Amino acid sequence: MRIAVLLSAGRHPVSGAAVLPRLEAQAIRIAAGLGTPVGLHAGPDAAAVADALGQGLSRIAHVALPEGADPVPVLAASLRAMAPDLVLAGRRGQGGDESGIVPYALAAALGLPLIADVVAVAPGEAAGTLRLDQSLGRGALRRVVVRGPVVATVHPDAPAPLAYAFGQARRGVIEPVAAIVPAGPAAAPAAVEERPYRRRPKLVKGAPTGGSAAERLKAATGEAGAAASGRLLVDPDPDEAAREILAYLRGIGVLAPPSPRPNP
Amino acid sequence: MTRPRRDPRAERAAIQVAAGPRPRFDRSARAAGGRPRRDPRPERAGQRVPGASRPRYDLSQVVPAQALRGEVAVAAEARQPAAAKILVVEDPAFLVAVVPDAAGGRLSPHDRQVLGAARVLAGREGGILVVSVGPCEACGPAGADRHLALGEVGTDPDERAARVAAALAVASPRHVLFPESLDGGDLARRVAVRMGVPLFDNAEVVAAGGLVRPARGRRVEQRAAPGLLASVAPDAVADYAGPPREARPLAHDLPPAAEPASTILSVARIPADPATVPLSLAEFVASAGNGIRDLDTFRQLVAALHATPGASRVLCDAGLMPRHTQVGASGTVLAATCYFALGISGAPQHLQGVAGCEHVVAVNTDLHAAMIERAGLAIVQDAQAVMPALLRLLAREKQEAGEGS
Amino acid sequence: MTSFMPLTTVFPGLVWAMAALALVQVARRAALWRVGAAAPVAWLHGLAQLPRRYLVDVHHVVARDAYASRMHAVVAGGLLAASLLTALAILPPLAGSRAYWLLVTVAFAVTAAGSVLVGARRYPVKQKRLSAGRFQILPVLLLAYAVGGTLTALMLALGAGGIALPFTLGLAAAGGLGLAFEVRQGPMRHAVAGALHLAAHPRPGRFEGRPDTALRPLDLGAPRLGAEMPADFTWNRLLSYDSCVSCGRCEIACPAFAAGQPLNPKRLIQDLVAGLNPAEPAYAGNPYPGGREGQGERGPLARLIGPDARIHPDTLWSCTTCRACVEECPMMIEHVDAVVSLRRYQALERAALPEKAIGPVTELRQAGDPGGRPLAARTDFAAGLDLPLIAGRGEAEILLWLGEGAYDLRYGRTLRALVRLLRRAGVDVAVLGAEERDTGDLARRLGDEATFQALARANVATLARYRFSRIVTADPHALHALRNEYPAFGGHYTVVHHTALLLELIRAGKLVPQTLPDLSVTYHDPCYLARYNGETEAPRAVLDAIGLARVEMARSGKRAMCCGGGGGAPVSDVPGERRIPDLRMAQAAETGAGIVAVACPSCTAMLEGVTDRKAEIRDVAELLLQAVEAGR
Repeated sequence: MRIAVLLSAGRHPVSGAAVLPRLEAQAIRIAAGLGTPVGLHAGPDAAAVADALGQGLSRIAHVALPEGADPVPVLAASLRAMAPDLVLAGRRGQGGDESGIVPYALAAALGLPLIADVVAVAPGEAAGTLRLDQSLGRGALRRVVVRGPVVATVHPDAPAPLAYAFGQARRGVIEPVAAIVPAGPAAAPAAVEERPYRRRPKLVKGAPTGGSAAERLKAATGEAGAAASGRLLVDPDPDEAAREILAYLRGIGVLAPPSPRPNP
Repeated sequence: MTRPRRDPRAERAAIQVAAGPRPRFDRSARAAGGRPRRDPRPERAGQRVPGASRPRYDLSQVVPAQALRGEVAVAAEARQPAAAKILVVEDPAFLVAVVPDAAGGRLSPHDRQVLGAARVLAGREGGILVVSVGPCEACGPAGADRHLALGEVGTDPDERAARVAAALAVASPRHVLFPESLDGGDLARRVAVRMGVPLFDNAEVVAAGGLVRPARGRRVEQRAAPGLLASVAPDAVADYAGPPREARPLAHDLPPAAEPASTILSVARIPADPATVPLSLAEFVASAGNGIRDLDTFRQLVAALHATPGASRVLCDAGLMPRHTQVGASGTVLAATCYFALGISGAPQHLQGVAGCEHVVAVNTDLHAAMIERAGLAIVQDAQAVMPALLRLLAREKQEAGEGS
Repeated sequence: MTSFMPLTTVFPGLVWAMAALALVQVARRAALWRVGAAAPVAWLHGLAQLPRRYLVDVHHVVARDAYASRMHAVVAGGLLAASLLTALAILPPLAGSRAYWLLVTVAFAVTAAGSVLVGARRYPVKQKRLSAGRFQILPVLLLAYAVGGTLTALMLALGAGGIALPFTLGLAAAGGLGLAFEVRQGPMRHAVAGALHLAAHPRPGRFEGRPDTALRPLDLGAPRLGAEMPADFTWNRLLSYDSCVSCGRCEIACPAFAAGQPLNPKRLIQDLVAGLNPAEPAYAGNPYPGGREGQGERGPLARLIGPDARIHPDTLWSCTTCRACVEECPMMIEHVDAVVSLRRYQALERAALPEKAIGPVTELRQAGDPGGRPLAARTDFAAGLDLPLIAGRGEAEILLWLGEGAYDLRYGRTLRALVRLLRRAGVDVAVLGAEERDTGDLARRLGDEATFQALARANVATLARYRFSRIVTADPHALHALRNEYPAFGGHYTVVHHTALLLELIRAGKLVPQTLPDLSVTYHDPCYLARYNGETEAPRAVLDAIGLARVEMARSGKRAMCCGGGGGAPVSDVPGERRIPDLRMAQAAETGAGIVAVACPSCTAMLEGVTDRKAEIRDVAELLLQAVEAGR
């Protein structure tokens, strides 16, 4: 099976070092289980994705592209030439706009279906089909069978990336590929303003929007919610304790109510 | 300014005690208006832990004084708000569309937050249009002025995107917001590609002046004026908190989309099996610690509760539970909704593993265990005795349910 | 027989025949060693040093077991003397001398006595750590040769002859030729391979009084990185594994073996031997705990590591690189080097790190810290302390290397105590702050040499920008890397452990501790300080200076047991029956001390993590600060 893995020029969130984004490393792992994948990167510098050679890829095709240019036309042209059966990408590539739109634009340009957030890919029962498991969160899956070729993005719950093997990395090759179509004009610089990231407090569920300052503080520091309404039963009868526990579990919705479901 | 004006004179007259030459007032009976007065003495009494020879208090719970006096029903009745008036925007200056996930026809908490964000963009003049695929309940209380329910579509997400894009083209809103959830983010990008407009994704700040999102691995943030399409990060924007709105249903006469035949052959949903799901993904984890001696009963209980089994390090070290079930800093860090700790005292490393759990239920013999402190429902009792009781209760419920049907 | 050749010729002839047979057997064996990679060996120097290495260094280890030492002196000395003397009797003047034969008789009698000592360890019941198999017939062969030799020589000395002589000579021949035959794949191999190994030892520094413990840098341009199969080891390493005498001292010292993890150093070395030689007799010692029998292909080109190969990956990743086995090995085998060579191939060529170790090693490579934490956060522990950055001053008397422990809340307390002590003593100290990357110790022990070398080069470049006279660190792992392993990358520093510096300050009168006499303490030696660097006295002297009642654990100093925190073992997390720190804390509890003094962040973390522990874990610096502040 021919598999292409789209690679982007990632940055380590803490050190800022050029690294392979974790999701793309996970994509390589999925791809390596199916065949011999080829990496594809469009950008000014291939060194940014050389890490991928140590994490399961033996070959990366690199389309040189000026900084800020739209990668979709050249990637689409390269993929048309490669004609892979499966194109894997992270759910949000780094280094460009980082809006996660490139796989969708590519799928549209190639006329292929796109399956988002997959955690596993396997060949389908019928020839030419693929079975993709989409994550629905919390371990639940949606199993989609598609007639290939198909574009898929990878979800963080996919198997963890392979370790980096220095010995394999030095044997891997990065092949420069001439851009088949002229790079699209650099997208009009969007009116975005960049500044250092500032972490914002997450909304606390059930926090009072009004309420006193003390209540909001309690909510923000986690003293509220469960703990504030916390109940303490000391030496209850075990049966009473059991009733309390079941009532509580049903109250927060992790345990189904006792009434029989019409059709489980 | 909607609060009724208070009349202190009348309030005083109402609580005056009739007898006696001197005017006397019964302030404890003041139930109407404002917060109920606190009475620390009965509250303290309510916190007293029964059973101990020395008085011991559990300061983590506050029992309202009224509850102790059996007045809670009265108070609740008195505070019953009048049916809120439905706010109507007759002729909105512009529309802000929200495309919720609305799985199963109900708004998710994330959808509600997106509606809250939409209200920020719509302000007073704008109207919020919910565009749902399939039915969607209770859009009005969540802040929708208009509601456009599109017909159900098949399994192909592209078909759904085509339908939404067509509806948006007709409604021509000023902004469209999606939840940046698994399906919502997917739909947003499909719609963006279809409409050929950029998407400002994963906005963590939504204000009329601009949207902010993280970029470059959260090293920078980007701010831009709200464009046509944007998606909103979870737990970043507060829900709509104003009075309910009308969510006036709109009729639509969209032509059925002529999409090419889908290459998706089949779609099947595989629910997570709590027994095998990785611990880090599990929603409900029941965990055994040193206080559990009978692990067979524990396993039965885990199966009966449809929970994922976990364990403390001591049990894993002793080989009583497999290593992959270990919860804590050196085992798995959980993201569960509920953590049910049986016989676990709560070592610091263990508590680090459950820091992300929303609810904690603990059963432990030690009143002063850290896990009891952390728990939303804490039961100071031998877990070894509670487990069979739980199993009995579950079995009885099952039996009754079986008879009932 | 006597008719055509005199017995005085036949008997020495037997010894010559034994020598010839042994030589043939050695030559057959040497053909196997030659498949190994080339290694530079100073032969002349090594051979010249051989007697000293044997009589001093080997004896020092062997003598820890007094019985074994005596037994070996008697049996080996007797055997060599008797055989040499008999061989010389081929010369007619000696053969004719009855007195000479009496001397030979005495030599053989000594050998016989030694053989009985050898046999007593194995019969009627074998000591548990010893291997069975061919080793069980060793005392029999020795006894046959010695008794046969004694009787033959005695009869020659007495001039008696007759019917008994062919029998006694036959007995000696059976035993002697058997011993010579055993030189190829039996117990007697250790004598020849051991002697050659001593001369061609890959770490000659061990015998010259310096702790030669630094791992050799790997040439990252080599066609194959690390060892996949026996042929990837250098020939003198293959030779060293052949010298293994299966005495089992390593398995008694090994913390992973004690914890029931699937590692037994003796078995590991024997598996390397068996991997090289397909005809090797079956292993007959204690197995890998909870492990399995060796299986899979054998031969110089056979893969050594794998779920289906001779050595299971779990065995490889169980090692804490504590060097306890190396310290105990009477044959001077370097087990840890073998483990790291094998790990290097797994990590660099196959990316087959243990699943849980991938994260830390990846972060180390990408962010310079195994936790992926911001380097600037390393000094967070020192909030409110006067701890200047060297960047602002360019120089300092002492550069304090913080290490990974600085991120840990618990160990931050120790570092705070250390900084306060240094401040109080008026030491001119500074830190690198955000410029300090991890030393790469974790990556190197786990075999990721590429990451280690990148970090080492980066750190050496950083340190080259500043002037300081010494580096002080509280982390023995960092100390070992900086002191012993960075010189290969151009970084030559004077590196001091914090306990040594604190002792210096006390002796110079800059720190005046009061005594804390009512505390009892036992000191746990960190492997990377005691065994890797031979420093066991400074921390004890500091503890004595504050007047603590110090008790020693049964295993202490250079023979201390590991806490389980080294070599990436905590991140590999191979399951065992027990945990190493639990075992160590139980040993500490035996002393009855209320405090276990430590001097290493890994030991602190591992020992603090023991549940139901009675003793407190305190760093030497914390105890000293308490004593110093008691004076106020």
